[in-house]
Amino acid sequence: MTVHDDPHPESDVEDQGLFSLNESVSSRAYVADIWKRRDFALSLPIEELQSQHLDTFLGNVWHLFDPVISAGIYFLVFGVFLGVGAEVDNFILWLVIGVFAYDLTASTISGGAKSIAGRQGLMRSFRFPRAIVPISNALGHLLSFGFQFLVIIACTFATGIGPSRRWLLLPVVVLLHSAFNLGGSFIAARLNDSFRDMQEIVPFFLRLMRYTTGVMFPVETFFGKNALIDFVVRANPLVQLINFYRWVLIGADLNIGLSALALIESFAILWFGFRFFRVAEYKYGKA
Amino acid sequence: MTSLSVKVDDVHVDYEIFSERRAGLRQRLVGGKGSGRRVIKAVNGVSFEAFRGDAIGLLGSNGSGKSTLLRAIAGLVEPTSGEILVSHEPKILGVGGALMLDATGLKNIKLGCLAMGMTKDELAEKVDEIVEFTGLGEAINRPFKTYSSGMRARLLFSISVSIQPEILLVDEALAVGDRNFKDKARVKIESLLANAGTLFLVSHSTGEIERLCNRGLWLENGKILADGPIADVIAEYGVDT
Repeated sequence: MTVHDDPHPESDVEDQGLFSLNESVSSRAYVADIWKRRDFALSLPIEELQSQHLDTFLGNVWHLFDPVISAGIYFLVFGVFLGVGAEVDNFILWLVIGVFAYDLTASTISGGAKSIAGRQGLMRSFRFPRAIVPISNALGHLLSFGFQFLVIIACTFATGIGPSRRWLLLPVVVLLHSAFNLGGSFIAARLNDSFRDMQEIVPFFLRLMRYTTGVMFPVETFFGKNALIDFVVRANPLVQLINFYRWVLIGADLNIGLSALALIESFAILWFGFRFFRVAEYKYGKA
Repeated sequence: MTSLSVKVDDVHVDYEIFSERRAGLRQRLVGGKGSGRRVIKAVNGVSFEAFRGDAIGLLGSNGSGKSTLLRAIAGLVEPTSGEILVSHEPKILGVGGALMLDATGLKNIKLGCLAMGMTKDELAEKVDEIVEFTGLGEAINRPFKTYSSGMRARLLFSISVSIQPEILLVDEALAVGDRNFKDKARVKIESLLANAGTLFLVSHSTGEIERLCNRGLWLENGKILADGPIADVIAEYGVDT
């Protein structure tokens, strides 16, 4: 090794304020950095929504059709064939709300799992807080949910229920639901980045959730017989989150204790997911 | 008084290569023999200090670790061991990488600028200038996936140079596009350099390095072979290869 004369003798070197790019910053600074790039976090999903489905004839209308068709199938199977809808008031609307709300969680979490892999190009080209990737994924799904919500509103009016004062609580419900979805996405994103097999496992997990969160039949119908199973199923915050929508929109019953638990759980999942995701911050996009 | 801008202290960057495919759960759990794991030491114990005013050319054959070292300084690769300290967040100019394939060139410019931390106002101010610089004309409204590799490189380069960095890392970015664009790119880099504190340049053109840099680092197999005034290092490099 050849080292030539040091052009900068040690004595007059000023090395104030050097920092490492691989050292994790405080959560506060990290969140501030995300906030600074909020336009980026929002433009990413908007851009994607615009360019998605451009190759299909009906384009973005599929965002609306997809859950409507699912709800129709569930109505046929659970309402007509199995007859579980009999004990539920307003079963069709009850079902539509459940399907739409559940689909938001399912698409956000499965999209979140794939989000890091899908943004490799951006992450290799630019340095930004990686949490923006699952956040913008969640925002994107929330935006399409906004359009889908118009269908729910239309159904509500069609069945003659119409708006009530409870509707004012909708933003709070959506906020809670989003906290849960985002926390779940953070966890799925990190797991999927470490083990690509997660991508195959997540759909099974989501399918299990679909049948245990009271999307197409009330959880009490099948799980109510055993007290322990009943509690385990109903302590899942998603059961209560879906129920919040029904409580607000069509006046379903609310279990105060479990609802409070769901509120705490949702924010705990967000908090845990965020920390869990950040542990691997400097590994995303580098594999 | 000279000020330190980059301090690289005994940095190693290892890559794990899975010869079969991306690590699956089974491979991770079973590991060991038969999992096809190999470790490549891309950067193998590099230490040096860079100062404000340094324009450092990185020399070395393909696979010598130049680009990996540059990406590590940029914070895009995490060192396996050792430490890299910087005085400002470095900006890397590269030609690789894809943005959003389905979005138009123009939208990619906007997303790239926002990703770099520009606000919407700053973006609005700069976007025309960037579009103009790409020289892509009408093609700017076509989806990124329809671009040729030269056009993609021009777009990425134009986004990257829209911010004046204190520490500038250039990885083969001068080889971008056609001759016209190359000249424009060179002028732009020279002007960024005039205002940048520190420059690192990876290029296969020794002439380019000699013209733009005042200091040379010669890397081979992830280790520094020579570090000193550019003319001396190029002379040594030339003798050996």
